[in-house]
Amino acid sequence: MIIVPCPNCGPRNSGDLRPAGEVISRPDPATCSLSEWREYLYMRPNPAGWVTETWYCRGGCRRYFTIERNTATNEIRGQEAS
Amino acid sequence: MRSSYDVVIIGGGLHGLATAYYLAENHGITNVAVVDKGYIGGGGSGRNTAIVRSNYLTPEGVAFYDRSLDLYNTMSTDLNLNVMFSKRGHLTLAHTDSALRTMHWRAEVNKLQGIDSSVIDAQEVKKQAPSLDISQDTRYPILGALHHPPGGIVRHDAVVWGYARGADVHDIHILQETEVLDIVVEGGSGPGGKGAGGKVTGVKTSRGDISAPIVVNCTAGWASLISNMAGVPLPITTHPLQAAVTEPCKVFLPTVVVSGSLHVYVSQTDRGELVFGASVDPVGTYRVNGTLEFTEELAGHVLELMPGISKMRLLRQWSGLCDMTPDYSPVMGNTPVEGYLVDVGWGTYGFKAGPVAGETMAETIATGRNADLIASFGIERFTEGDLVGEKGAAAVGH
Amino acid sequence: MTNRLPAQPGEVIDRSTSLSFTWNGKQMTGYEGDTIASAIAANGVDVFGRSMKYHRRRGILTADHWDPNLFLQVGDEPNVRAGSRKLQAGMVVSTQNVWPSLKFDLAASNQLVGRFLSSGFYYKTFMRPQFLWPLYQKILRKFAPGGEIHWETSTHGAYDKRYVHPDVLVAGGGPAGMGAALAAADAGASVLLVEHYTELGGHLRWGDDAQRAKAAELAAACEAHANIEVLVDSTVTGRYDHNWIAVNQRSHATAPERLVKARAGVMVVAAGLIERPYVFAGNDTPGVILAGAARRLINLFSVKPGTKAVVMTANEEGDGAVADLERAGVEIVAVLDARKGESIVAVEGRGRVSKVQVNDGRMLSADTVVTATGWTAPTSLLNMGGDRPVYDPVAARYFSNSLPSNILATGGIAGDGSTAELEAHGRATGELAANRSLRRRHDRVSQTARSGAPTWAKPEEVADSRTPLARNPHPECYRSTTHGMVDFSEDVSSKDLVQASKEGFDSIELMKRYTTVTMGPSQGKLETVNAASVLAEANGVEMADIGTTVWRPPYSPISLGALAGRILEPVRRSALQDWHEAHGSTPLLAGQWVRPDQYGDAMAEAANVRANVGLIDVTPLGKLDLRGADVPKLLELVYVNKWQKLDVGRVRYGAMVAEDGVVSDDGVTGRLGEDHWLMTTTSSGAGAIWEMLEDWLQTAHPEWDVHVTAVTGGLTSINVAGPNSRTLLERLTEGVDLSADAFPYFSVRTGKVAGVSDCIIWRIGFTGELSYEVHVPSGHALHVWETLLETGVDLGCAPFGVEAQRILRLEKGHYIVGQDTDGLSKAPTAGLGGLVKLDKPDTLGLPELKHAYGRDDLPILVGIQTVDGSIVPEEAAQIVDGDQNTILGRITSSRMSPTLGRSICLGQVDPSLSAAGTEITVLMADGRRIKALVQEHHAHFDHEGARQRV
Repeated sequence: MIIVPCPNCGPRNSGDLRPAGEVISRPDPATCSLSEWREYLYMRPNPAGWVTETWYCRGGCRRYFTIERNTATNEIRGQEAS
Repeated sequence: MRSSYDVVIIGGGLHGLATAYYLAENHGITNVAVVDKGYIGGGGSGRNTAIVRSNYLTPEGVAFYDRSLDLYNTMSTDLNLNVMFSKRGHLTLAHTDSALRTMHWRAEVNKLQGIDSSVIDAQEVKKQAPSLDISQDTRYPILGALHHPPGGIVRHDAVVWGYARGADVHDIHILQETEVLDIVVEGGSGPGGKGAGGKVTGVKTSRGDISAPIVVNCTAGWASLISNMAGVPLPITTHPLQAAVTEPCKVFLPTVVVSGSLHVYVSQTDRGELVFGASVDPVGTYRVNGTLEFTEELAGHVLELMPGISKMRLLRQWSGLCDMTPDYSPVMGNTPVEGYLVDVGWGTYGFKAGPVAGETMAETIATGRNADLIASFGIERFTEGDLVGEKGAAAVGH
Repeated sequence: MTNRLPAQPGEVIDRSTSLSFTWNGKQMTGYEGDTIASAIAANGVDVFGRSMKYHRRRGILTADHWDPNLFLQVGDEPNVRAGSRKLQAGMVVSTQNVWPSLKFDLAASNQLVGRFLSSGFYYKTFMRPQFLWPLYQKILRKFAPGGEIHWETSTHGAYDKRYVHPDVLVAGGGPAGMGAALAAADAGASVLLVEHYTELGGHLRWGDDAQRAKAAELAAACEAHANIEVLVDSTVTGRYDHNWIAVNQRSHATAPERLVKARAGVMVVAAGLIERPYVFAGNDTPGVILAGAARRLINLFSVKPGTKAVVMTANEEGDGAVADLERAGVEIVAVLDARKGESIVAVEGRGRVSKVQVNDGRMLSADTVVTATGWTAPTSLLNMGGDRPVYDPVAARYFSNSLPSNILATGGIAGDGSTAELEAHGRATGELAANRSLRRRHDRVSQTARSGAPTWAKPEEVADSRTPLARNPHPECYRSTTHGMVDFSEDVSSKDLVQASKEGFDSIELMKRYTTVTMGPSQGKLETVNAASVLAEANGVEMADIGTTVWRPPYSPISLGALAGRILEPVRRSALQDWHEAHGSTPLLAGQWVRPDQYGDAMAEAANVRANVGLIDVTPLGKLDLRGADVPKLLELVYVNKWQKLDVGRVRYGAMVAEDGVVSDDGVTGRLGEDHWLMTTTSSGAGAIWEMLEDWLQTAHPEWDVHVTAVTGGLTSINVAGPNSRTLLERLTEGVDLSADAFPYFSVRTGKVAGVSDCIIWRIGFTGELSYEVHVPSGHALHVWETLLETGVDLGCAPFGVEAQRILRLEKGHYIVGQDTDGLSKAPTAGLGGLVKLDKPDTLGLPELKHAYGRDDLPILVGIQTVDGSIVPEEAAQIVDGDQNTILGRITSSRMSPTLGRSICLGQVDPSLSAAGTEITVLMADGRRIKALVQEHHAHFDHEGARQRV
C-alpha cells in the first residue's frame, strides 16, 4: 500500500484510489489511421523508471490527477490535477 | 562463452531453457546460448504456483495448452528427473450463475477437443474437496465448478533443472549472470537501424559481445525493455503477481481449487503447505517486494472457501513479474525484425505453457515460420485487431 | 515437577498459581508464567517430537519462539510455538509428527534409509515406472509434517484490525529499542513500541541482577510515557513500500489476534540477535541446547536443563550460561572455549545425549551439551526496506549495508556493546528518528490542503551523528569437522548441502530451492548463516562471496484469520429487498446486489405480466443524474448513437463500445429537462461507467458543462409491466397524463405516484409489454411498491422476479451485454447497425467501429429455435458443423417460453449461418446433436413491438 498524494485530499493510501494507468495521448479518431489507433490501444512504453500516470481519487474527492511514479522503486514525485 | 552462436536465447527460465532443449532434441540445433542476468529459474519459473491445466476457453488456447500437458505427462522420463507431476484434478469454482455459464462454455469447448472437463454441482465439489464450505448462505456461495481431472501441480524448479540439464547434455551454453545490454539490429526503419525491416546480428552482454543471426526474447517481467533493444514495441504492461505459502498441516486438500470471483487459487503440497495465488496487482510496477493487502485479501477469500483453516499461518509471501497483454494471451514467433523472435506476454500462465512454448518456438526458429499451434499468438494481431478471446476466462485462470 | 529449580531471582513464573494441562494425554501441571515448553520440560520431558523427514527424536533447542523442535498441537490449533506461547490451564498439548506414538514412530524407519532421503532424493527417484509415482506420492502425503486442522472450530471473523499512524515505530523492546522509544517520545514523536515476547527487556530479562534492574527501569519508563504505546506479544511481521508496517498483535483482550497496520514516519529496527546452533554430528539430539536456551530455562522459568553438561562457548552468552548452569546445580563436565579453538566433534545418544566427543580426542559423559557459537542478525525487516546486508568476517555476522532514510537500525543488529552502550545508541537513534519523522509529519500536514497549515515549526534537519556500536571480534564457528543438522525443521544436514553444491546447485538461491534449506517455519532465522558457511566451504570461497537469500515477509508466521480480519464485503440491497424476502423470494446474488430471483413460480410470474400486470424491482440498474448544457456532447462521445436532437420528455436506447470497438454497456437515457438527463447503465457496469464519464469530463473535456451524480441507490426503480399497467398507474399518478397520445412509448414524465413527488416515470419495454419504469426516491419506495400492489389487486398485479424478467426479455429478443456478447463482440455482432452513427467527430472506438462495419467475418447474434421445441439447449451449448467438431457459434441465452410453449434462444453464429431459416446443429451437454433454425428476428414474440406501443 503506497501513498499517493491527491491534490485535494493529501497523501492517501493507494487503496483509496484507483490507478488509471500511464498517460497515453489519444490520436484524433476522426482522422487517424487504423494502425495509429491500435498503437494507442495496445502498445505501451512500460518503462522501468519514471512514468506519468493517472490516478482517480475513488474514495475521496473523485478527481483524476497525474503523478510521476518510478516503477522500479515506487518513489513518487509531482502531482497535478488533470 | 563463444563469440558467436546460431541462436541466442535471452532468459534462462523455463521458456528459454525449454526452447534450447527442443532446438537440440527435435531439430539438432546445438550451437545455442541461453543467457540470463541472474540464475536459472530465478524469475517467474521459480515464483509461480506450479499449476498446470488445459481447460481454456478458446479452441486455440485449448489445443496449445493440451500439448503442454502432454509434454508434462512424460517429462519425468523424458528428462530423467522426477518433476513430480501430481495429476490431482483442478476445480474452478462458480459463485454466480454467470460464472457457471462461463464454466459450461469452457466445458463444451474443451469436450469438443477431447479434453476431460465438465461442470459439477456443489455436492460433487464437496466430494472432490471436503474442506470447502458449500453452504449457500455465504457471501460467495459455491454453485458448482468446472472440474478438470487432468490438471494438477508440478514441482516448478525441477522442470527448470530438467530442461537445463537436457540442454546441457547437448552442449548448449547456459550463461548465468550475463546481462543483455543491447540487441544489435541493422537496416531497420527506426532509430539506430533498429525496428521493422531490420535484421539481427547479435547481442551485447555484460560479459562481451555475441554475434548471432537469431535472438529470441524469452523473458518475463523485462520483455518490454529487452524488446525495445530490437526496436520492437510490445503490447505489454508489467504487473506483480503475488503468491504465498502457509506452514504445513496434515494433508486435507486433494485437488487444486480456483475461484475467479474471489481471485484466489490454492493447492496443498505433499509436505502439507497450502500454496496460494491471486490475480495480478492493479498497480503496474517492477517492484517484487509484495504488499500486505495481498495477504489480507487472500486470507479473507480463502477463509470464505475454507473457514476451518483460520488458525493456519501464512509462512512466506513473494511475488514475480507478469507481462500482461490486452487479450490475456502470449505474443509469440517472428517479428518485423528478421531474426528477432519473441516468446513473451505470458501474463499469469507461463508455467503451464513452458514445454509447448519451448517446442513451438524451437520449431519456429528451425523452420523460419510460426508453428501452427501458435498461429493465433503472433504480434501482428495487435495491428490487425484480431485478438484472442481468453480474456474472460483467464482473468484469474489458474 | 522433577526439573523445577528452587526460586530463581529473575523467574517469571508465579508459583502460587498452578495450571494443569495434558501432554500427549498425560496430566501435568505448570505455573502461571510458564511457556508450554518450560512447563513440559519442568515435568521431566526430553523428547518433544519427531523431525520432519527422518523422524528423529527432538528436544528443546532454543527455548524461544524460533525453536524448530517445539511446534506442538494445542487443542484445535496446529503448529503452536511452545517455546514462547504462555501456558494456560486446561490446554491439551500433543506432538505433531508422530505416527502412531512418540516412542514407537513407524516413520522413524526413514532414518534407516536416510541416505536415500538426502537432498534432491525425490527428483532422482520414483519416476520409473511412471505409473507408480502417484502411489508413492500418496504415501508421501501421509507423512506431511505439521499439526491438524479442526474443521468444526473456525475462528474466522473473530479477529480484529486496527490502523495507527505513529511518527516512530520501534520493532523490538530490548535496551536499544526501549532507549529509542524513550528518546523519540521525549522529542515529541508519537511512538509505537512493539515487542515480540510478552515482556519488554529483550536479552536483559535472563541476564544478571543489574541487567534485569535496567530492563525493569526502562520498561516502566516506556509504559509511563504519554507519547509511547507499548504492544507486547506482538510482532512486526512486515515492512512494505512507504513504511507501511504490519504488526501481529497476539495480546489483544478479546480478538484471538489483531493485525495492526501502521503508517510510520520512521521505523527503528531493534530486533536484537538470534543465537545460532553449531553444526556437528548429533547436534539435533535431545539435550543439545543453545546457551540462550539454558539461560532462559534456568533464569526465567527455573527449569534445570540437565544434570551433566559440556559447554562450548565462543562469547559472553556462553560464559554466562556456564555461571547459570553452575548456580542451578548442573555439573559442568567441561567448558570448551571456541576462542581457543576447542570444539565439539560429535555427540552420541538416542533419546538424550550420553557421550560427547571433543576435538582434543576426549570422550566425555554428559546428558547436556550447551553451545554458544554466535549470532544471526535478523535483518529481515531491513531487507524488506531494500537493504542487502553484508557479511563481516571479524564479527562473524551480517550487518546492514544501506538503509532508506525512513528506516534506522539499533541494538544487536547494528553492533555490540554493554547495556549502557546499547541503550545510548538506541537513544541517539530515537532522537534521529524523531527528527526525521516530525519533519515528515510536518510535510504531510502541509500537503493536505483541508487540514490547514501546521501550527508548529518544522524541525531543522539533524545529521546522523550517532557513534556506531562496536563490532566485537567473534570466532567464525559454524561447523565442526563432522556433518550435522543445518535446518532442523526441514531436516537438511550440512552433508546434504555439500552434495547439492557438488551437483551444481552452488548458488545460495539454487541450493535453497533444491534442498529446501531455510524454507521451513523459522524461515532461516536459525539456518541461514550456517547454510551460507557450508556452501562457502563447499565452493571454496569466502562467506562474503556467497550472499544471502532474500528474507521475505512475514517476519514470523501470522494466522490467516488475523490477516482476514472481519468479513467486510457487504451485499447491496434495494430499499425493497426486505419486502422481497418477507414475501418468499429466492435470493439471487448478482454482482454486488442481492435480488429476488422469483417468488415461487417464475413461469407463472412471466405469464402474469403478459396477461395482467407485474412489478419488478430493478433498482440495481445503474443510474446517473447528468446536468449541464453539454450533456448531449458527452452522450455523443460515449454512445454509438446520436443524442443532440433528443427532445425534452423523450428517452432513447443507447449502446456503448470501448475504444477497441467491443460492446461494453447499454441502457436507456432520458432528457428530463433542457439541461437535465437521467442515464441508466447495466447493473454491473454502473460504477465503471460513472468513473469513465468523470475521466472524459475531467481529463479530455474539462471545458464541458456537465455534472454527474450517481443516484443508483437513491432512486428505487420499479418496473410496472403488462397490459394493465397503464390502468394501474392511472389510479395512483397525479400530474401526469398517462394516455397513449400524451405519454407515448419512449417518453419520460416526472410526477407524483402514490402521493410521492419527484418520481421519474419512463415508458419503455424490456419485457415487450406496455410498461412504465418508475424511479422513486428510495425513502418512499416501499410505500409506492405496496400501494401499487394493493391498488392493483383487481388488475391481477403481482410481483415478478429476475428469472421471469429473463424469460420475458428473451421472448422479446433483447440481448444482455456480457451474456449474449463477450469480450470480443463488436457492434455488428450485437446487431447495432441501425444505431451506430459513424459520421460523428468523436465517439469511443470510432476507428474500430468503422473497421468492424467493413468486415464480413464477425459472428452474428441471431434468434434461434430448436426444431424440437421441447428441447432447451444449455446456455453455452456449442453450435457445430454437423457431425464435425468445428465450432461455428454458441447458444448465449435459452429458456422455455411460457408464451410460445416452446424453447427459445439467442446465439452467436458464424456469418455463414446467420441468414434466417438456416439449419444449424447444436451440441447438447449430453452429447446429442440437435437441429435448430436461425430466426429472422431476435424477438421470438411480437417482433414489431405492437404490445408495448399501445
